[in-house]
Amino acid sequence: MKPVRSMLPLYFGPPNKALFGCYHEPPSERSRKCAVLICQPVGHEYINSHRALRQLAARLSDAGFPVLRFDYYGCGDSSGSSEAGRVSQWLENISMAISEVRYRAGLTQVCVVGLRLGGALSAIAGAQRGDIESLVLWDPIVDGKSYLEKLIFLQKEMLRFRPKPKRDRNSQGHIDILGFPLSNFLCSELEKINLLTLADKPAKNVLVIQSDQTTGEDSLNDHLSRIGARLEHQRLEASQIWLPTTDGSLLVPNQVLQSVVSWTSQMHQCQTHCQTH
Amino acid sequence: MKDAFIKSRPMKEEAVLFGEKKSLAGVVTDPPTTVGNHLRPAVILLNPGIVHRVGPGRIYVKIARALAAAGFVVLRFDFSGIGDSAVRHDNLQFEKSAIREAQDAMDFLKSTRGIEHFVCLGGCSGALISLETARCDSRAVGAVLINYPVTEDEDGSANADLVNRRAAHYYWNFALFNLKSWHKFFTGRANYRQLMQVLRLEAKRQFTSKSEIPREATEFEVNLRQLTDRGARLTFLCSQGDPLLDELRKAGGSELQHLCALGKVTLDIIPRSDHTFSSLDDHEQLLEVILKRINGITCSGKKIINTPQAASDAEAVSVGDSVGRVLD
Repeated sequence: MKPVRSMLPLYFGPPNKALFGCYHEPPSERSRKCAVLICQPVGHEYINSHRALRQLAARLSDAGFPVLRFDYYGCGDSSGSSEAGRVSQWLENISMAISEVRYRAGLTQVCVVGLRLGGALSAIAGAQRGDIESLVLWDPIVDGKSYLEKLIFLQKEMLRFRPKPKRDRNSQGHIDILGFPLSNFLCSELEKINLLTLADKPAKNVLVIQSDQTTGEDSLNDHLSRIGARLEHQRLEASQIWLPTTDGSLLVPNQVLQSVVSWTSQMHQCQTHCQTH
Repeated sequence: MKDAFIKSRPMKEEAVLFGEKKSLAGVVTDPPTTVGNHLRPAVILLNPGIVHRVGPGRIYVKIARALAAAGFVVLRFDFSGIGDSAVRHDNLQFEKSAIREAQDAMDFLKSTRGIEHFVCLGGCSGALISLETARCDSRAVGAVLINYPVTEDEDGSANADLVNRRAAHYYWNFALFNLKSWHKFFTGRANYRQLMQVLRLEAKRQFTSKSEIPREATEFEVNLRQLTDRGARLTFLCSQGDPLLDELRKAGGSELQHLCALGKVTLDIIPRSDHTFSSLDDHEQLLEVILKRINGITCSGKKIINTPQAASDAEAVSVGDSVGRVLD
């Protein structure tokens, strides 16, 4: 019988703004000198990609990395109402989560993996902090404005096949995107996101994984190289797991997960008798 | 107002691991004050399908916090292999392991909070497990069953059919009476392929005899009777825009109508909502009904007390400003 791998659900941070996370401890016989933080997307994209990111965390931990997945303030199991989400708050949350995973793992080197908005936020946080060793940007949001437009389009499409809600949410200071409120303030923050304006490199080593052909990674790659990041770019045929599916299934793109684990393992070699699985 | 109430009273949330191998991950939300909690059952939220314990649109978090603000201890957790809980390595079927794990959740709350009575709440397959758990374990004094799927897809192949049934339900109940939809139809912007599929489906249904209601429908009626005879309170919550509602009415038949009339079972319909409650309006309405229904169940020792309010509300429900209906 396989042993149950060690995973600890926990709350961290200040009690009035506690964040939920899951800490995956690596097996003691394999250890790397780098901890991994996984930054998830938000809203329906968070729900849809939870399964894949949980599996990614398990695989990274199996490869010898201590891993922390966490929910931003106002998201998932973390404290705060869904209306309370702010980009500035989420950037602080990433810093808090970096401290938490460093403390738990007893390591200083950190690799951050971010999907969609999680990718954009981790790139911004990395550029501001300047202490991220390596960064995986999995289909990151490059331009916040077009991200918002696509969310609004998705909401309109969804409304074609369900009764229209009675109340106009715009009048209440937020819009409804598939049951997640986006406040006017958050929208204005999201609109300002543009990874092509990053002045400093977000990490020493960056892997950009592109499965969505429409997110404009080419210009992102050029920009990241220009600001001094050691860059690797991979185009992979994989499902856009963050989108809702007609039958409600949650997809796990094996190839992407394998790429992330293998690149991260190459960047951060094992200290002891370590085999990548 | 409800949101303001919840925000003004910070929740106490605790991440937990429980079960035989400490492999089931969950979050317990405790009320701001613990006075008198032993009189109330704890509420256990069961995964809606394979979505993790946060629920679609974060609705399970909202439900847990609203109930905790009303004085209930709430546990939301993931079944094995879903969300953050580890996969089981025995050969137990999901239908059985899920019930056992819901019972593990009860044991956990008994050992950590001293609570002995529970209400199981779940959406879709979570509703099935809630009903089954209530049937198997007398500690469950009630169940809130959201969009209960009377006919379950056993091999997953019926998913496409379910999509068509949902579309059919939407066309017959909403689009047919909507000028914009007719405008789309006459200006070539409608989904004609789906319309044809829906028409075929309806034609097929018209030729299918009513006697072909699946066998589990009869079992379903028996289950309802057994549970209510035991004194358990059952609430069915259905989206108006969901085809499962029609199936529930058919399967429940006269027994469901009878039990509703006696106030032992309630059937609340959430107006203008869809299967996953994918709008913020749906959330507000759902929360309101859940609070009302669960507030109606309190326990004293082993005796379940149905409050007078709950009994009088069983036949007709008014959901705030919106209108809820029972077996219309």
